[in-house]
Amino acid sequence: MPEIATNTPPILPPKEAEEKVISPWKEGWKSFRKNKVAIVGLGIVSFFILIAIFAPVIAPYSFDGQKLSDKHLAPSAEHWFGTDEFGRDILSRVIYGSRISIGVGFLSVAGSVVVGSFLGIIAGYYGRWIDTIISRIFDIILAFPSILLAIAVVAVLGPSLRNALIAIAIVNVPIFGRLLRSRVLTVKEEEYVTAAKAIGMGDGRILLHHVLPNSLAPIIVQGTLAIATAIIECAALGFLGLGAQPPAPEWGKMLADSRAFIIQAPWTVLFPGLAIMLTVLGFNLMGDGLRDALDPRMKN
Amino acid sequence: MKKTLALLLTGILALSLALAGCSSSTSKEKDDGKGGSSEAKGGVLIYGKGGDAVGLDPAIVTDGESFIVTQQIFETLVKYGEDDTEIKPGLAKSWEVSDDAKTYTFKLETGIKFHDGTDFNADAVVKNFQRWAKSKDEGKFAYYASMFGGFEGDEGHVIKEVKAIDASTVEFTLNRPQAPFLKNLAMPTFAIASPDGIEKEGDDFTKNPSGTGPFKFKSWKPGDTIEVVKNDDYWQDGLPKLDGVTFKVIKDNSARLNAAIKGEIDLMDGLNPSDISKVTGDEKLQIFERASMNVGYFAFNVEKAPFDKKEVRQAISHLINKKEIIDNFYEGTAEPAKNPMPPSVSGYNDKIEDYDYDVEKAKELLKKAGLEDGFKMDLWAMPVPRPYMPDGQKVAEAIQASLKQVGIEANIVSYEWAAYLEKVQAGEAQSFMMGWTGDNGDADNFLYTLLDKDNIGSNNYARYANDEVHELLIEAQSTADEAKRNELYGKAQEIIHDEAPWVPLVHSLPQLAGSKTVKGFVPHPTGSQSLVNVSLEN
Repeated sequence: MPEIATNTPPILPPKEAEEKVISPWKEGWKSFRKNKVAIVGLGIVSFFILIAIFAPVIAPYSFDGQKLSDKHLAPSAEHWFGTDEFGRDILSRVIYGSRISIGVGFLSVAGSVVVGSFLGIIAGYYGRWIDTIISRIFDIILAFPSILLAIAVVAVLGPSLRNALIAIAIVNVPIFGRLLRSRVLTVKEEEYVTAAKAIGMGDGRILLHHVLPNSLAPIIVQGTLAIATAIIECAALGFLGLGAQPPAPEWGKMLADSRAFIIQAPWTVLFPGLAIMLTVLGFNLMGDGLRDALDPRMKN
Repeated sequence: MKKTLALLLTGILALSLALAGCSSSTSKEKDDGKGGSSEAKGGVLIYGKGGDAVGLDPAIVTDGESFIVTQQIFETLVKYGEDDTEIKPGLAKSWEVSDDAKTYTFKLETGIKFHDGTDFNADAVVKNFQRWAKSKDEGKFAYYASMFGGFEGDEGHVIKEVKAIDASTVEFTLNRPQAPFLKNLAMPTFAIASPDGIEKEGDDFTKNPSGTGPFKFKSWKPGDTIEVVKNDDYWQDGLPKLDGVTFKVIKDNSARLNAAIKGEIDLMDGLNPSDISKVTGDEKLQIFERASMNVGYFAFNVEKAPFDKKEVRQAISHLINKKEIIDNFYEGTAEPAKNPMPPSVSGYNDKIEDYDYDVEKAKELLKKAGLEDGFKMDLWAMPVPRPYMPDGQKVAEAIQASLKQVGIEANIVSYEWAAYLEKVQAGEAQSFMMGWTGDNGDADNFLYTLLDKDNIGSNNYARYANDEVHELLIEAQSTADEAKRNELYGKAQEIIHDEAPWVPLVHSLPQLAGSKTVKGFVPHPTGSQSLVNVSLEN
C-alpha cells in the first residue's frame, strides 16, 4: 500500500540517530541469525507450523478414513509412512496431528503467559500480602510434578483435548508468574519508573507501557521452551488416554495405540515418535537460541 | 571444624560403599539359591494369571480368577466334561431322576476325606446346601440366589429339600422342575466344602479353605502368589500328577507372556491375540486354545432415544463389519456372532440369517425412523482386555468409523472397569460394548440371564423387555425335554434377532500359552479348570 506509506508523516528520528541507537530486537535478531543451531530450530518449527496450516492440502488421505483390510501395511509409495491397525494412512495422521500438538502448545502457553504475567506483575508491583498470597499459590502448584498435576486436573475435568489444554496451561502458570514477578521487582526500582511516578503516571499505565515491555524478552524465551514442554505433556496425556479422544490423530495417542505392535509394525510407533521428537527439539533449539540472543545476561 | 566434617563425610561415603557392595553380593547369592531350587522343582507348576483371587471359598465368590484356584481345592457333586459342559460324575458316582423331574437321588463316592481330616458324606452335602439356602444373604451367596431362584422361603426357590437318606445317598426334592439343574450343580461355586472347617474358621474359611480336591491349600500372599500342594490322600488313584501348583499374579498380559518366555511361569492365561506369533515362534512354548463359550457384543440401551426405535437398532446392525473386526483385533481367533449365545450351546438357532454389512439398507432404515441425517450418540467401551474382547477401545473406534458413514457421530466414553460395570448396569450408557462367558453351558444362562425382563438392573444391561420372549424363556426353564427346550430357545432367538437389542459381535477363542513341558492341560470353556490331570514332562 504505497499511498499510505507516502501519506504517513515522517515522525521517524533522523537517520544518524537510527544508526546509533540499534533497537534491542534488531540486535537480538542479528545475534540469533549467527547462531546456526538456533536457525535449524527455527527451520524445524516453521516446517511443522506450515504442515499444520496446510494439512488438508498436503495430506494424501483423511486422518480418520479406516480401511480395516489394509491393516499394518509397511511403508510404500502409496502409504509413505505405512498404515496403522485400522488401515489408516500414518503420514496423513502425523500431518493432521501437528495441528493438535502445535495448537495445544501455542494455546496452552498463551493461556499461561496471560494469566501468569497478570498475576506475576500484580504480585511484583504491589508486593506485601498480595505478593504473599500469589507467590504461595505458585509454590503450591510447583510443588507437584507437572505431569502428575496435569493428570489430576484432567481427572477432575474429564478426559478431552480441551481439558488437557487447560491442564497444561494451569501447570505452566507459575513459571511465567514467577518470571514476571522477578522482572517487575527489578524494573520497578529503575529510574525511569520513578520518573514516571514523579510526573504522576497511573499504575496501570506504568505497568503496561514501561514494566511489561521491559519484561517481554524473557517471556518469549521461556514461552518457546514452554511450548516444547507443553507438546510433550500433551503427548503424555494422550498416551495415557486423558487427552485427545479417538479418532483424533494425536501423536501421543498414536504411540499408545500402537505400542503393542512395536515388533510387528515398527512404523506405527516410529513416525509419531519422530514427529514428537522433532517438534520438541525444534522448539528447544529455537528457545536456546533466543535466550542467547535476547537475554542481556548472556551477552559478554 | 571443616576438616572434621569432611572426614566424617568421607567416612560415611566409604561405609555406604562398603555396605552397597555387601548387599549386592548377598542378593546375588540369594538369586543363585533360588535358581538352584527351581531346577529341582520336580512337579510344581507355576500358573500366571491376570488378577488375584477375591476369596477361596467358592460359594461366596463370583469371579473367574478365584475359581481358577478353588477348582483345585474343591470338587462338585457332578462335573463338566474336560472341554464341554456335558455332565460327568464327580463326588456323586451316579444319580437317578424321578419321572416328574422333581426328585434327584445321588449315590456318593465313599471313603473320601476333606483336607482337614473329616469325612465327606451325605451329611456334609446337606450341611453345605443348608448353609446357602438358609442364609438369605444375596450379597454373600449371589450365585446360589441367581441359579436357584432365591433362598429358602422365596417364591421362586427351586430346591425344596436336601435330605441324607444314608451316609452315601442324598436326595434333592425340587419345588418345580429345573432343566439345567445338574448343569448348575456342576458350577465350581457349588463345590462341597468341609462343614467342620466352615464352622471352625467362620469368615476366615475363605482364607483357609478345606475341600476334597486334588490339591490342598498351603499359603496365600495377597496380590502375589497362592500355593497349593498335592493331596496325598486324594480319592482317585494316581492323581494328581503334580506335586503342587503356584498361582502367580502378573497383571499385564505382555509382562505375563515375557515371564513365560523367560521360563519363570509354566502356564498363563490371557494371551493377547497379537502376541500369538511370539508364542508360535518360540520353540519352548505352546498355545492352548479355550473352546468358545462366550459372546462379545455391542448393545443399545433400548430405553434411551433413539435406540427405542427398532429401525435404528437394525440399521446399526447392518453397519458393523464383523469379519473385519475379527481379522484386525482378534487375529482371526474368533467367529462372527449372530445370536446372543455361542453355537456350542444346545438350543443355538443356526437358521437365523445375520444382518449383512450393507450401508444402503442402513440408510433406508434410518430414513424410515426419520433419522436420515444421522445423530449424535455416546458409545461406551470397556477399559480393560476381556476374554471376549481383547481391546474394547479399538473395536469401538472401528464401530465409530462405520457409523460415520451414515452421519452418526459416536463419542467414545470409558470409565475404570468397576465403575463402567456399575454405570452400565444402572442404565447410564446409551450404547455400550459388553460380553459374557457362560457359567454352565446352558442356553438359559445366556438368554434368560442377559435378555429377560426379570434381569433388568442385574445382567440385562440393554434393559430389553419383551413379554413374548419372557414367556418362552420361563417355559423353557421348567421343561425337561431337550428338543422342546431347544425349540423354545430357537423361537426366542428369532424374536431377539428381529428386535436387535444387541449387535452380537463375536464368539472369541481365548488363547493361553504354556511351556512345552506342560502335558494334559485342557482349558475349559467356562474359564476355569481342574489341573488334576496335568503333568510336567521334559
